[in-house]
Amino acid sequence: MSILIQKVTKCYGRKRAVDGISLEVRAGELFAFLGPNGAGKTTTIKMMSGLLRPDEGTVHICGHAMAADALMAKSKMSYVPDEPFLYEKLTAREFLRFVGQMYSLPDDVSQRRAAALMERLNITGFADQLAEGFSHGMKQKVVLAAALLHDPEVLIVDEPMVGLDPGGMRTVKDLFRERALSGKTVFMSTHTLDIAESIADRIGIINQGQIVACGTLAELKARAAREHRLEDIFLDVINPMAAEMGGPVEAMAGRG
Amino acid sequence: MTTATAMTVEAAPPAASPPGLGLLLRIRLAVLRNRVRQLTDQSPARLLLVLLFVAIIWIALYMLFDYVFRFMRRDQFEQQAVIAIPYVFHIFFVAMTFLLTFSTAVIVYSTLFSGREPSFLIAAPNHPRSIVAVMYLEALFFASWSLLLLGVPLMMAIARVQGLSWQFYATFLVAFLGFVPIPGSLGLAAAWAVAMWLPRSAKRAVFWGAAILLILVILWWGRLWALSSGSSSDWLKGFMREMSYLKNALLPSTWVTNAIRLSIDGKFAPAAFYLGVTLSNALFLSWLCINVVGAGYGRAFGRAHAAPTHTTVYSGWASHWLTAVAFFYLPPRLRALILKDVRTFLRDPMQWSQLLILFGLLSLYLTYLPRTRPEGFTLQWKAFICFLNYGAVTLILSTFTSRFVFPLISIEGQQMWLVGLWPVPRGRIMWAKFAFAMTITLTAGMGVTLLSIRALNLPVSLAIVQAVGTFAACVGLCGLAVGLGAKLPNYEQRSAGRIASGLGGTVNLIASIAVVTGVVVVMGIICYRMAVLTESTQLDALGWALFAFMAALGLGTGVTAMQTGIASFRDAEF
Repeated sequence: MSILIQKVTKCYGRKRAVDGISLEVRAGELFAFLGPNGAGKTTTIKMMSGLLRPDEGTVHICGHAMAADALMAKSKMSYVPDEPFLYEKLTAREFLRFVGQMYSLPDDVSQRRAAALMERLNITGFADQLAEGFSHGMKQKVVLAAALLHDPEVLIVDEPMVGLDPGGMRTVKDLFRERALSGKTVFMSTHTLDIAESIADRIGIINQGQIVACGTLAELKARAAREHRLEDIFLDVINPMAAEMGGPVEAMAGRG
Repeated sequence: MTTATAMTVEAAPPAASPPGLGLLLRIRLAVLRNRVRQLTDQSPARLLLVLLFVAIIWIALYMLFDYVFRFMRRDQFEQQAVIAIPYVFHIFFVAMTFLLTFSTAVIVYSTLFSGREPSFLIAAPNHPRSIVAVMYLEALFFASWSLLLLGVPLMMAIARVQGLSWQFYATFLVAFLGFVPIPGSLGLAAAWAVAMWLPRSAKRAVFWGAAILLILVILWWGRLWALSSGSSSDWLKGFMREMSYLKNALLPSTWVTNAIRLSIDGKFAPAAFYLGVTLSNALFLSWLCINVVGAGYGRAFGRAHAAPTHTTVYSGWASHWLTAVAFFYLPPRLRALILKDVRTFLRDPMQWSQLLILFGLLSLYLTYLPRTRPEGFTLQWKAFICFLNYGAVTLILSTFTSRFVFPLISIEGQQMWLVGLWPVPRGRIMWAKFAFAMTITLTAGMGVTLLSIRALNLPVSLAIVQAVGTFAACVGLCGLAVGLGAKLPNYEQRSAGRIASGLGGTVNLIASIAVVTGVVVVMGIICYRMAVLTESTQLDALGWALFAFMAALGLGTGVTAMQTGIASFRDAEF
């Protein structure tokens, strides 16, 4: 199992931001993580990437517990936050080289992969410019290239499409699908339901800190008991009142 | 075959071994190298200007210390110098202990627990200890500038006046290097403690910590001033009693002071002992704090980020009332614009605390000033102190307007989708900004000026000169900051600090210093003429002419800068 989350809880003061969720994501799977604002998506992702510690429960990445074996777990994964971080006074090439060194890649391998990724993401022309002049989309592409540089078993991405042009979005979608096909895992949090609908193998929906639905798109539609678009299913799941009015979706938490 | 798929067939990376401190240090050096290269390539004038200002400050400090030590070496002060100079060192290093602890804590907190870089580094397979160590070293580097800026000219002045050998230079440099990590490690521990136990109120904790410390210092300072009302002998005894605990053998400041004092006396063997004590403590404390904070870094980071930010509910009635009273003369629409700026000012402690601290210290000194001379000051002293006070007030005002008033228009430009659509001429927006800046600076500046006039019991003519001079300086500095803020804006940058330190901000700073220099020099001439040449409490014709020139310089600069700025702002595109 690439990602294993077991009964994880995180509280912010009195608020249970994440409330005892469990989730399994297999190798070769592209998992889309959906939820309204403040549902607990980013908190869950931060616990998966070791930035936050669960109050209860455990997170395993490729069999390594994030709490007990953090360095090994982190070496197997990459995390791309919703607001990409780059050193403003480094060029894209310098940044990628630094990331390669952080993951102990040999220099020649690092440079070859960096060149290939920059070519693929169409940022080669900016490789030797300081990051401070990059647009949000450019930064997103550089950070994505950095995340893929060491060919991680698990890629965790928070809102990957924000700021990307249509061409960039297409490339990123292709990259994600290719990774899943080659046996790697992609865990993607997004508000863009169309993208989740088009590329995800499975979809999980979190609301008020709990997984309220999880399964393939076909499973979600089947459980909704009528032919819905993902948008309708999502809105039904996070809003029970609307669900009652428009045809309820059964609670599907933990069935994925 | 696509790139990504192709990559997956490559050999897997070697077994993960966390990168060491060296890699993180190298990347910081690369960032620094690029920053310097960019500065030398794109704005060498700015770099030269910064270096020039640092050199001027450094040389001025050196000359000041040199003068003080030569003055104290005169025959009649030789004995007092023997007593006082060690205390100068003790006070200097105690003050530096607090300053370095505080500044390291603030820098370490911001680099380890806020911003996006720590998230990036933690999510990668970096050992937490390496992250803590590199941030700690960086904080020491930045925090120690104050020690170098103040300490090196102090020591060099002593060395020159006393004719000391090269060993002294080596001793004080090693002493400085050894001393910095001691308060630095305390700052690291303090930052970690705030993240662990006060994560919801880190800024408030730092602010109140600094405020309490400042109040304690002020109270202690007040006691020292109060002592000065007695006879010289009583004062000296009281003063020594007050200062005795600064010489406690367990204080790091005492070890460094002893090392330097002994090396001044040519006793290098015992000086080396104190250097050893300082260095070994610095190394041990650094090792201890890096390991303890490194071990608890993940937990502390989680707590700092898991805790909800402190949410205060603002009713806004006080700021509304304040704006309505202070800006009653503005039409309601512009008052609404001002209300936004008033609320930003009041809710940003960086802005009002700077004015409060600097003018608060000045006010305190002016309150105690009459006690030092119960019999009153001579005209010469009155004129001299009046001149110094005026210089201090205008300098503080210029730093405030450069840092906080200059960015106002640039920041407004980012909201031009809102402000730009208002049916209000842009020129009036500029005047509203000017009125806002004037109200704050005039309230603070004139308050201190009136205190100064009262404390010195200035003759009417000199009181008028100082009060009108402060008003003119306010007009000049606010006009410059608002006008140049519109003439040389930076609409891309969202950080007010970065706007202020950009090209436009630098030009404004230089222009402000030029205005301050101009009015202060004229003020100096007026005071000198009154106190030395005419020895009269009345201004003569030339004195009034100089006064008129000083007022015209301030007012003219302000109005001209505003007109230039309004013309630019009127035609600006966003």
